[in-house]
Amino acid sequence: MMETVAISPYLVIILAGFLPSEIWRWLAVFLAKDIREDAEILVFVRAVASALLAGVVAKLLIAPSGGLASIPAFWRGGAVVAGVMGFLAFRRSVFAGVLVGEAVLVIVGLMG
Amino acid sequence: MRDATGIPAIVLMASLIGVGGLCRDVGYPMGAGVLSTLLVWAAPGQIVLFAAIAAGASLPAIAIAVSLSSVRFLPMCMAILPLLKGPRTPIWLMVLLSHYVAVTAYVQGMRVLPDMPQEKRIAYFLGFANTVMLAATLSTGAGYYLIGQMPPAFAAALIFTSPLFFTLSMIASARRASDWLAMGFGFAITPLAVVVAAPGFDLLLEGLVAGSLAYAGDRAYRAWKGL
Repeated sequence: MMETVAISPYLVIILAGFLPSEIWRWLAVFLAKDIREDAEILVFVRAVASALLAGVVAKLLIAPSGGLASIPAFWRGGAVVAGVMGFLAFRRSVFAGVLVGEAVLVIVGLMG
Repeated sequence: MRDATGIPAIVLMASLIGVGGLCRDVGYPMGAGVLSTLLVWAAPGQIVLFAAIAAGASLPAIAIAVSLSSVRFLPMCMAILPLLKGPRTPIWLMVLLSHYVAVTAYVQGMRVLPDMPQEKRIAYFLGFANTVMLAATLSTGAGYYLIGQMPPAFAAALIFTSPLFFTLSMIASARRASDWLAMGFGFAITPLAVVVAAPGFDLLLEGLVAGSLAYAGDRAYRAWKGL
């Protein structure tokens, strides 16, 4: 088994970080070569992209990494809900929503 | 450029301060964290990368985990590249443009590019993406030194910024039935996919199932509306 400690950190970033994620971008360049911007297939592709983004968020809420794990699950979800409410309350401002959600998270974190 | 100095840059900077902290936790030099921002250019992928390194996983195992977390770039690039491509855009330029595709540039691009004349889109996209990338790179370096001195609640808030921003940006830029359905199904199916799918394949399964359901729903909605 290859030990990550034995090879240069920079090489790990390139081999295990850069190449495995970049390959999807390269593949997309190849696949999108002949697709027009109004093609029907793009409606499907965009739906998959949105679903994946929602999935990334949901997964971070279910199985958080790093410092986020110190916030109870109920409040991780609650902070997202608060963010959406802030967004809607302040004329659909993304910035306001982020601030409200973060405020809830920090307050819970400081009290816990 | 102007657009890039606003909220997207602030959000990205916050998440990459968090990534800088993770890089330090695994004992890597600051340059490795900065390099990961420039090359991987995906905060969730970088979080997976450093978490797997911290767990002592083997190099192929780390690569697979990162790759699975970055599958979304395939549909994201496929959706945005046709907006950027002109009649004579060379392939090397498309490859370069594809590197900048991550949530921040994607969300901004999908919102702004369709209403922009074709010949201005590439310049706008590169200007925007390079500016946020510069800000993100500086933040990774700063986070490397800063995060250890922060209370845990603030460290948590930094990691939390980008998922919260993703969610609100998706809501803000949703235009058609499929956008709303994809988001709803995506959130609803993920907990199920985590249980059902083999480790690491949950997002792939969730994306395909939720995306297909959303597309089918969009078709049905259009048929019903007679569009």
